[in-house]
Order: sequence, then C-alpha cells, then structure tokens
Amino acid sequence: MAQLTAPEQKGLGPGFWPVTTALTVANAVISYFIVVLPIEKYLPEAAAPAGDIDWLFKFMSVIGNAIFVYVVGYMLYFCWVWRRRPSDAPDAIGIQVHDSPSLELWWTIIPSILVLLLAIFSVRIWINLQNSLGDVLTMEAIGQQFKYEFRYPRLKQPVFNDMHIPVGTPVTLHVTSSDVIHSFWVPEVRLKYDMVPGLVQTLRFTPEVIGKYRIICTEFCGTNHGNMVANLYIDSQQDFGRWIAGQFKAQGQTGGPLNLSAGQAAAGQQLFGEKCSTCHSVGPFTQKIVGPGLGHLTDDPAYPNLVTGKPVNAEDIAWILVNGYQGPDNSQGKAGPSIGIMPNRQANALSNKDIANLAAYLLSLK
Amino acid sequence: MAVAAAHAGAVGHHDHIHPEPEGFVAKYIFSLDAKVIGVQYMIAGLLFFIISGLLAEVVRIQLLTPGGAILKNDAYNGVYSLHASGMVWMVVIPMMTGGFGNYVMPLMIGARDVAFPWLNLTAFWMFPVAGVILFSSFLIGAPDAGWTEYPPISVQGPPGTTMWCIAIFLIGISSTLTGINFMVTIFKMRAPGMTFTRMPLFVWAQLATAMLNMIATTALAGALLALFLERVFDVPFYDPARGGSPLLWQHMFWFYSHPAVYIMILPAFGIISEVFPTFARKPIFGYKMIAFSSIAIALLGFMVWAHHMFTSGMAPWLQLPFMILTMVIAVPTGIKIFSWLATLWGGKIDFQPAMLFALGFLVVFTFGGITGIFLSAVPVDLHEHGTYFVVAHIHYVLFGGSIFGAFAGVYYWWPKMTGRMLDRKLGVWHFWTTFLSFNVTFLPMHWLGLLGMPRRVAQYRPEFQFWNDVCSIASFVLAASTLILFYNLATSLIRGKRAPANPWHARTLEWTVSSPPPYYNFKTIPAVLKNPYNFGEPLPYIGLTLAEEEEDRLPKPGPAVPAHS
Amino acid sequence: MAVSALNTSHEAVAARYQNVDGAYAEQRDMRLMGFVLFLISDVVLFSAFIFAYLYLRNSVPNWPPINKDGVQLPRFDVAFAAINSCVLFGSGATMHFAMENWKHLNKAAFNMWMLATIVLGMTFLGGQAYEYHSVQVTWSGSTMGATFFTLTGMHGFHVLVGVIYLIVLYIQANRGVYTGSKYFGLTAGTLYWHFVDVIWVALFYLFYLM
Repeated sequence: MAQLTAPEQKGLGPGFWPVTTALTVANAVISYFIVVLPIEKYLPEAAAPAGDIDWLFKFMSVIGNAIFVYVVGYMLYFCWVWRRRPSDAPDAIGIQVHDSPSLELWWTIIPSILVLLLAIFSVRIWINLQNSLGDVLTMEAIGQQFKYEFRYPRLKQPVFNDMHIPVGTPVTLHVTSSDVIHSFWVPEVRLKYDMVPGLVQTLRFTPEVIGKYRIICTEFCGTNHGNMVANLYIDSQQDFGRWIAGQFKAQGQTGGPLNLSAGQAAAGQQLFGEKCSTCHSVGPFTQKIVGPGLGHLTDDPAYPNLVTGKPVNAEDIAWILVNGYQGPDNSQGKAGPSIGIMPNRQANALSNKDIANLAAYLLSLK
Repeated sequence: MAVAAAHAGAVGHHDHIHPEPEGFVAKYIFSLDAKVIGVQYMIAGLLFFIISGLLAEVVRIQLLTPGGAILKNDAYNGVYSLHASGMVWMVVIPMMTGGFGNYVMPLMIGARDVAFPWLNLTAFWMFPVAGVILFSSFLIGAPDAGWTEYPPISVQGPPGTTMWCIAIFLIGISSTLTGINFMVTIFKMRAPGMTFTRMPLFVWAQLATAMLNMIATTALAGALLALFLERVFDVPFYDPARGGSPLLWQHMFWFYSHPAVYIMILPAFGIISEVFPTFARKPIFGYKMIAFSSIAIALLGFMVWAHHMFTSGMAPWLQLPFMILTMVIAVPTGIKIFSWLATLWGGKIDFQPAMLFALGFLVVFTFGGITGIFLSAVPVDLHEHGTYFVVAHIHYVLFGGSIFGAFAGVYYWWPKMTGRMLDRKLGVWHFWTTFLSFNVTFLPMHWLGLLGMPRRVAQYRPEFQFWNDVCSIASFVLAASTLILFYNLATSLIRGKRAPANPWHARTLEWTVSSPPPYYNFKTIPAVLKNPYNFGEPLPYIGLTLAEEEEDRLPKPGPAVPAHS
Repeated sequence: MAVSALNTSHEAVAARYQNVDGAYAEQRDMRLMGFVLFLISDVVLFSAFIFAYLYLRNSVPNWPPINKDGVQLPRFDVAFAAINSCVLFGSGATMHFAMENWKHLNKAAFNMWMLATIVLGMTFLGGQAYEYHSVQVTWSGSTMGATFFTLTGMHGFHVLVGVIYLIVLYIQANRGVYTGSKYFGLTAGTLYWHFVDVIWVALFYLFYLM
C-alpha cells in the first residue's frame, strides 16, 4: 500500500506575517475611505433617520470589507504559496492537519463578538427609529395602481403624486393601499414601508434638507410597477405654507376668522397633548424636551418675551402658532443662534379655532 | 477485526445485488437505479437551466434602455417571474438534491442505491412534468408577480399563475419525497463502520438538506393550495375585504422559502468540502465543525423567515428576533468559510477546473454572505428591501454560490459519471470568463439598488442606464461563457479521454469503483475504518473488490501515474 | 428485484416478504422510518393551515367574524361534531384491537375489528358530509368558512384515503400477504389511522371548542 510522507510543518509558511500585515494595512486604508465617504454626496440624507442608517451601513461596510479582504487575501496568498510545483511528485500531498481547536475557537469567538456588536448597534438604531419624532404633521399616503394619493389634515380632497412637507417638522405618515400591495420608499430618507390593503403602517421622520426627492414603489404591483413614482418636496416653512394654502384655495376651502376671545382652554389642553407635547412640556421655561417648557409663559422670569419683547399675551402666542418660530434669525431680523424650528400653522395643521383654544389654554397655566 | 467479521457475515437486504435491468426502457427511462435517475435529473435540470437563463437574457436586453420596450410590460413581468421560479425550483433544487445527491450520495456511503428506489423514480418524473407545466404558462399568460407571487396581485394575476401553483406544488411533492428518501438512506444504509463522523461532508450536506426538504416544503404546499383555492374557488385566505390577510401568504411562503435557499446552498457547501481537500491533497480542515455547522444552519434556517418581511406591515417588535437570529447564522457560515480557507494552507494545490470554481465560489459567496448581513439589519433593510441591492445579493449567493458549486461538482464528478475526462483548458477558460463576467454583471446592481432602482421593473429612471448597460453586456458574456462548458461536455462525450476510476486520487468511496460505476455500485459492500480525508495513508476501507478490468487505483509512490491532463 | 417488482400478483407479493429475517428487519426498519417521516411532513401541511386559521382568527376583533351585512356568523354546533368525533376515535380503538388480534394470530377477530374500523371511518365521512350540509358558513363567504372547509376537507380527504388503504390492507391480509411476524403494511395503516385521529383532535378543538 502506498504511504506518502507529508511535508513537515514549518511555521505558518513563507511570508505569512508580511501578508497578514499587508492585508491589515489594506483593511485600515479601505476602512478609512469607507468612514470618510460622503454618502450624502451620492444620495442626500434628507431626513432624520438617514444619518443613523448611513452610519450603520458604514459600520457594516468596515466589518464586511475586513472579512472579505482577509478571506480573499489569504486565499490568493495560500494559492500562491501552497500551489503544486511542477517539480512535485504527481501524488505529492500537503501537510496533514485536521483541525486546530484553538484556532477554531478564535474564529468562532471573534465573529460572534462582531455579530454581537452589530446586533447591539442595529438594535439601538432600531430603537431610535421606533422613537422617531412625529405627530406634528400627520398625514396619509394611499397606494393605488399606479399612483400615490396623499391626504392632508383638513384638506378635503387628496393630492396626487406630489407630496409636500415642511422642513424641520416631525411628520407622521400613515400608509396603506386601496388595491394590491405597494410600497412607499424615499431613498433620500432611507425609509420604506409596504402599503398593504387592509393594514395601516406608520412612518415617522423629520425632514431636514430642503429639496425635491423621489417616492418609489418597490413592491411589484402590476403592469406599470416600474412607472409608479412620485415626488417628495421638502419645502421651507413658508413655501409649504404657500403650497398648502394654495391647495385649500383650489378646493374652495376657507376657514373662519381668528377669534382669540372664543378660545376654550379645555379643548386647547387636549390639542396640546396631541400635538405639542412631543416637543414642549408644561413646566418652567428651562424644562426642555425639544422646545422650551410653556407652563409659565406669563410669569416665568426666564421666559424671553418673544415677538414684541413685552410680556406675553394671546396675540403673541397666536403670532408664533401662525408663523412658526425659528429663533431670532427670522424674527424681527435680529441676528443670533438658531434655536431649531417651531413649525407654522400649516405644518401643524392648526385651524383658527385650534389657535384660539391653544392660546386660551397656555394663558390659563400659572 | 469485529467490523470485518460483521461485514463478512452480512447478508443484509442492501447487500444483495439484484439482476441487471433489461431493455432500454428499464435501463434508461424508468430506471430504478439512483445513478440513472441522478443523470436524468441533471439532463432535465440542464434543459430548464438553459430556458431560465435565456429568460434572464431577455430581461437584460429589455433593461438596456430606461424606457425598455422590447416586450410589453406584462410579458416582461412574466419573463422575470419564470426566470426566477425556473431557476429556484426547476434547476438548482432538483440538480443539487436529485441530481448530485442521487448519483453521488449512495456511492459515498457505500450503498447500492437509495432506500426507496420506486419512490425515487416517482419523485423524478414529477419534475419534468412540473417544469413543462411551469413554462407552458407562457401560453395562457405567464405569472407576473415574481417567484414570490404576493397576493392580492397574485390572486388577480394572469391565468398562468394557477399553472404556477400547480407546477410548484408538484415539484414540492417531488422534493419532499426525495427528502424522505435521502434521510432514510443516510440514516439506515451507510456501509458498516461508517459512523456519522466518518461520513463525507457531502453526505452531511445532503442530510441537512433532506431535513429541510422534508419539513419545509409542505408549508409551501399549504400556501400554494390556499392561493389556488382563492384564485379558482374564491376562497378568502388573503383577501382583506373578507377578513383575509396578504401577510398570511408572506408568512407561509417564506417559512418554506427561506429554508429553500439553504436547500439550494448546502449541497454546494458539500461539494466544496469535497473538492477542496482533494485538490489541496490534505484533510478538510475542521471536519466536525463543518458538519455541525451544516445542521446548525439548517435548524436556524427555520427561524429567520420574516427577515424577508421587515417592511411588510407585521408587528414591529417581530423585527427584532428575526434580525438577531439572521445575524447569528453568520457565525456557522463564517466557520465554514474559514475552514475551507484553512484547508488551503499547507496544501499542494492543483488548479483543476473543479478547484478553480471552488475558489471562485469562496470569493463570491463570501461577498454574497456579507451583503446578506447588510440586509439582516432592519434599519438598513428598510432602505435596501425590494431594490436591486437584493437582486445583487440573491445572484451572488445563488449563482456565485449554488451554480459555481454545481459547476465545481460537474468538473469533479463528470469523469466518474461518464467515464470520460473533460478538457482542462476549456474548463479553465470557462472558469475565468464566467468569474469575470459574473462579477461585472452583478456587482453594479448593489449600488443601483442603493441609489434608488427598485426590482421587478420593466422601465427605470434614465440616470441608471449606464450601469444597467454594463450589467447587460456583461450578462451576454456570461451567457456565452456557458457555451464553453456545453462544448466541453459534448466533445468529452464524443471523444473525451477515457477516465480512470480515480483521476483525482480522491479518497471517498465513489472513487474506488470504475468510471462509470457498475449498476450495483460495489461488488461487495466495503467496511469503513476512518474518515476519508487522510491523504498519504492507505484507503480506510476493507473488503473492496477492484473491478477486473481496472488497474490498482490506490495511490502509488514513484513514477508518474498519468491520471489527468 | 427490479423485474419481479413489477409483478404484483399474490404470489410475487407474498414471496417478497419471505426473505431472510435479518434482511426483512432492515427493510422494515427503513420503511417505518420513511413512513414516519412522511407523516411528519403531513403534520407540517396541517400545521401550515392551522397557523393560517389562528392567524386569520387573531387578525379580526370578533370571532366568529361579522359578515358583510353586519351580522356575526354563528359558532359551529358542538353536539353533532362531538358524536362524529367519537365515531372516529372509536375507529382508532377498533384499529388497535385489530392489530392486537393480528399479532396474536386471531385472524377472524382481526377481520371483524378491521371491518368495524372501515365502517366507522365511512360513518365519520358520512357525518362530515351532513355537517357540511348543515353549517351556516360558506367556503367563500368568510375566512371562517374558508379555514373550516379547507382544513376539515383536507382531513376528510386523508380519512378517505385511509379508508381505501384499510380496505386494501384487509384484502391483502386475507390473501396471505402478511404473516404473524411480517406485517409492515398493517403497521403503516395503523400509524396512518392514528395520525388521522390525532389531527382530528386538533381540528375539533380549534373549530368547535376554542
């Protein structure tokens, strides 16, 4: 019986450590380029979750790239170093090693740790997604073969194929379908939810970058699935206000006049809970959630008396609710740091009655 | 030795050699021989591969232009739906299980056939019938909602959707029967002395695959039956207006279809695990972990189906366990990849075409597996689902994984099956043209998806045209490169060099019999003493009867034994 | 043997089971495993539809569901189904007795209990036909009807196949195909019949009691 002798094991092989070093350096360099890659240059990060999602993508790219480079790198290196030479006997055999418990342990532990890290980061970002701000502008999108229908609060007729939302306003979007399964995907927002008949899914996001983006259907829905696209416009507050006012006008809808003395504090309290409590508490000015606390507008010495510089009254409150507030930058032309964006009345979908009720409620708090 | 004694006295049922079947029909058409059935699976599978591949080329021609209009949209939708359905159910699954499994697995375990040859025959003939039904759906309006056929659109779909239900149901029965057959074969018909830890890894892979086949496929049968009933008899399972749920289909479908992707890849893993040690001339590294991870992947594969449904509207909290379990599958898969890599270390690597495809597999499957991890993270999947990123991932693991594995298997076992050698040079050409054109075809699809191109579209936005053209032209090269293989196969059959019993000096049992083997496989069933991967030692079998006309095939020292070109 | 396998005459069939005992035991072992695996895959088929039933039932606020006219569908009547269930479970008992008698070589008793099983099985099917006639839901009217008729229909189909199989076994047993030590066909028939019983336990609970 033939018994060929296996070659002896001489360390890890010629050039193993230099190659390992080279691969590690290559990984470090590629990882650097991954980290600094400006994704937003190729695909804008137009809304709040996009940054988080891109971060996770880069994290996975760094790890995935490292695995790939090591696997392919070692493979090519081994193929070169351990190739059969023409001078070898035809039945020459390799080093007869079956396993290495310690090596196998390490290549189980390290990937497990990487998977654990990935799971932790993914879950954290998942939780962030679940806790996304929303509810300031609540609207609906309904998929149909082969167009999108958008319904805005208090706007009687739907709008087709052009969806406008104001920048800086947390949006809650309920999506469903009236026929087959469609999907609502804005690549620039990185969010996608299927539009399923008989079911409503809810997206929450805060648009951050003004621009025109794409709404794309990614769930096969029939003959013209490939052409089912719509436009998403993230407008400035003012432009959005103009657009939605135009929609109201075109549909012949006008609201009643603003009557601050008829405000109902109880109704205002309920509205506050639905819309404003996402960003405002009813504590003192310094108790911030996103915006400052509004519980002591008339008697909190820390309150900066916006709008007129004089102590707060119902007209001042109504002014902010109607126009929104973006800090001294856009109020009375005074320079100063930006304090974020308080949406205007269209973004908040407030009627004149709502404004009166809210003013009455806020003034009733002491 | 106790084993030898037990072997010598064994007159078991499967030790008995039945008389040779007579007549062309009994020998080649309705044969009970698993080897003949295996070849029949390969031939039918190859035919459906050509059809499904041509359908893919039609897709790529349409996508050369953004407003692509060589086909009406409905016809185009039918084309890609049947491309995918054909490849999954009429090519990869039958060839990997019924094809390679039937031919090689009984030989590898020292058996004469599978446990239930009649069942094998019945299961096989369902396959071409199912394939004909599937592709005939073009005649009445092909199913158009992809291979996943989500309701409500699939309930309303063209008449061919009903044929699709019937065809897949039929091939499902075939798969289930084959799964049962293989499980009993592997549990009950291993040669004396072949404990589970002495079993070749290809057999471990077929065992894990058979488990999946047997259990998961009937869930698909349920989904298909419900869809059929809803379409034909208006029975409301999926119709929301009458209390049904489109998500019900998705759960039932994916409960099968995720294990299905493991059914498609595990046999390829098994092939790679045989090719690597043979051509590196050393044992497979980490045998136990590779065997164990195959079972782990099969079991975990049952628990991750809803990672296809992250955007579907199921309860958000469900996303978490499915995300985490999917990430966990990366660990046993990674163990396999590292083990294959370590098998190369210290070897005497011979770059035969089978080995080239195995190495190519390692590269592209690793890449495809990594993009799978990307998809497993819910926040990222919310962006990537339903886009060309998924199409890219699918093809890296299915083409780069299963098909490359199948190619490796063809180059490896062709001499055994046909008694002829393939041309090595043509094999090398086939490999390089395939490998390079494959990557150029499918790599750009990753960023096409990330940048906004959805899947299953007959038209796309103009800014995507450049990369679509790159993909399409590369795909034409890819299709053409398959012709090299076909030419090699044909010329080998006509005038290929006669193959010795063991051209690769491999050590598993199929190489101890002639090429091709006699219908009874082994004159006497050998007894097995060790696992087959210790090169340089005598073969660990006793009681082998060498075929009279074959020279001694055991490895010899000294002058060259001309075995392969 | 390939050639004689095609010959299904009594002699050829009987001859096949007169092999050396060791060989028979191996074969029986494999067939038993194969048959059990087949039953497992059949359980998965039923499980898929049971999942569908539970999922659909859970996804509406009311069960029985409220139909298009705003009327809540009535629950299924337990009484008749309970009686029919006893018929089926009884046939499981009679099957058991048949097998016991076969093992003790009491051919006449075996025949009696087998016939009882077959008759009870057919009675169950008759009962199901009556139930289908009298329930107030339709197959296509609601998910309640859809799941009920599909699941019990699949089960009824399995019972029908089982009854036919039992008849074949009865005939085979009486033609001497099985002996006191070689009766795998009867074992398989018993397993199958008990499987059909177990599935019915689940279905009866899910549709009538839950």
